[in-house]
Amino acid sequence: MNEITSRHLIDIVKYRVVWLCISALLLLPGVCALVYSAIHNENHIPLKVGIDYTGGTILQYGVNKNISNEDIAKTREDLQTIGIENPYIQILHANSGNSNDLKNIISIRTKFIGQDEDTVNKITEKLSAEYENPELISVSSVGPTLGKELFKNSLIALSLAFLGIIAYLSIRFKFDYALAAILGIAHDVLFVVGAFSLLGILYNVQIDGLFITAILTVVGFSVHDTIVVFDRIRENLRYYSKKMSFGEIVNASVNQTLARSINTSLTTLITLGALYFFGGVTTKDFVLAMILGIAIGTYSSIFFCSVLVDIWEDKKNDKSPASKTAAMV
Amino acid sequence: MKNKIIMFWAIVLIVIVSIITIFVKPTKLGLDLVGGSRLVIEAEATKNVPVITQEVMDRLQFAIENRVNKLGVAETVVQQIGEKRLLIEIPNVTDLKEAKAFLGETAQLEFKKESVDKNGVQTWVETGLTGQDLSKSMLTTDSAGHWVVSLEFKSEGSRKFADLTKELVGKPMAIFFNGDLVSAPNVNEPIYGGKAQISGGDSGFAYEEAERMVNLLNAGALPVPAKIVEENTVGPTLGADSIAKSKVAGIIGLGFVMLFMVFYYRVPGLIADIALVIYSLMLFALFKAIPVTLTLAGIAGFILSIGMAVDANILIFERTKEELRAGRNLFTAINSGFDRAFTSIFDSNMTTIITCAILYMLGTSIVKGFALTLALGVIVSMFSAITITKNFMHLIFGTGELKYPALFGLRKDEIGKGFEVTETKRENAKFGILD
Repeated sequence: MNEITSRHLIDIVKYRVVWLCISALLLLPGVCALVYSAIHNENHIPLKVGIDYTGGTILQYGVNKNISNEDIAKTREDLQTIGIENPYIQILHANSGNSNDLKNIISIRTKFIGQDEDTVNKITEKLSAEYENPELISVSSVGPTLGKELFKNSLIALSLAFLGIIAYLSIRFKFDYALAAILGIAHDVLFVVGAFSLLGILYNVQIDGLFITAILTVVGFSVHDTIVVFDRIRENLRYYSKKMSFGEIVNASVNQTLARSINTSLTTLITLGALYFFGGVTTKDFVLAMILGIAIGTYSSIFFCSVLVDIWEDKKNDKSPASKTAAMV
Repeated sequence: MKNKIIMFWAIVLIVIVSIITIFVKPTKLGLDLVGGSRLVIEAEATKNVPVITQEVMDRLQFAIENRVNKLGVAETVVQQIGEKRLLIEIPNVTDLKEAKAFLGETAQLEFKKESVDKNGVQTWVETGLTGQDLSKSMLTTDSAGHWVVSLEFKSEGSRKFADLTKELVGKPMAIFFNGDLVSAPNVNEPIYGGKAQISGGDSGFAYEEAERMVNLLNAGALPVPAKIVEENTVGPTLGADSIAKSKVAGIIGLGFVMLFMVFYYRVPGLIADIALVIYSLMLFALFKAIPVTLTLAGIAGFILSIGMAVDANILIFERTKEELRAGRNLFTAINSGFDRAFTSIFDSNMTTIITCAILYMLGTSIVKGFALTLALGVIVSMFSAITITKNFMHLIFGTGELKYPALFGLRKDEIGKGFEVTETKRENAKFGILD
């Protein structure tokens, strides 16, 4: 027994209050940012939402030039310098009769600028520097691609998915585990959403349509990661529940799966890291959300969900905490 | 061993089929990645709806979104521009004509009854029963083998339909679609079950005609007619520049992951890499065969599923290493490594599949694409981890004792002796050796 405990890299059970405090510390700034933004933002949405949710303005310019990828990248950068953040830049090829003799149309979707001549002129100016005589074809306002309905719909779907997860885990494990897994997801999602709220305040980072996808990915990863640890606890319990206290089993299980937990996150983070540093600008925030989510998901599966399960088990048995026994043996 | 070799050739066959599929079938990419067609449609006021209000536009947008989804063109963007126009972006569709024909139709289904006015002129009058009372419609055949459109009413609609048929026994009931008379069968008896069929009158429906009607009915009617005022092809929303960069970055990332696997897990890591390549080929072929429209959200699901596939391998190898440390021979270690890891792979993947199923059924565009690719990815990854990795491990390592622990990234002194396992059971608890 002595050897088992001494070989553990991390003592989950003994320092469980510490781990929970770290969780709280990790979540706190984000939660503060969410509350702050919810109060101060006009529409009381705790995140800075992009044009996918709010709608905006679409400007179309005709140019007599073939446009390459580098041109788009440059235009994007130019527009950022005059405060047009995260524009959607697309190239249109007119294939109906009304195209005059213009070769290409640049379509820029950006935040709402309405009839603000000044901003439109600035954009035209920037484009003139890059393309010869760009001709402003149209300025019109566009509605959101992700309306409230869609958002609500996604939330309902997600809530039902949570119920599905709870049901499945309750059958395969126990209700306690299911609840811990769901709280783990909440922990991770709150962290990522909080982080983006904070980034919104500090760097004006907006969330776009992809943010929902990023959150879904985080949910998927979080629960996946947690189950692997729980599976080990379940397996060890089957054989060792008589010889070891619950706390010891939790400790042993977390440590046995530690290499795997870290390696799995590491491989995913490697891919995401490459996408973040070498990938395109338009997906940077999306990738960042996933990086944050997967990192915190690994933390929560090791230090949050298992701790919760241990605490509940103690509460149920209502005897001296298993951690003490584990530490003393 | 014979089974293993048969399995090996089966895997080779799967790879060949996958590669052929990948070459033969076109890739369907979403608007965000390749662009597509951009249509602008304008709502037109009618007698019944003289003013296009925002509420009408909202309903129109919802109906159009539904309709495009029913068309099987996933990942379409519909947004309002100006006051009475909608901008619709459809990813690479081969037949835009069909899409266009589909968008403009109002698809109003009406049940009417006969009325004779004072002068003896026969007209059809509204009964209040319309396509809005339907819960769904299906394409079926009648007893004579003709295509018919089967209708199912909502509970309210069932009542209305029962009342109407009771009233019309012995009289004709007319069914109008898009304002045209489709058929006017005589009602023989009241119909209570809330189900009905539309046959295409005397001449019957052609298959395409009936199918189109079913799709339109399921997608719902447009509140007002709409006409196409602009039509362009359009580049990717995420910007061609960004996508080109991300492609390279993704490949670099995967390359690093593969290197990591070999570095950390040695020979098994290499096997996992091969399994991963096969896995990607299979999944990609599956995406093309179904076909799935890939968007960035879909690719996120794909990346996550790769992560989970790698995870399955990691779980198995960690378990196998534990077994080897305990001094098992190779064959047993590999087998029990797989068996032990399987419960966690199964449970974690099942939750993912359940989540995806719910998201797919209830979610909308982005969420749907993500759920589909992730679910497919997870299913294929379970298959690949269990069959491909295991098969290759057995083929390469055979059944003997582990002579070179370094192949597994283990040190010689870590390896226990076989007989000790049975003697010091508890000692081995830390390795998870539990029998």
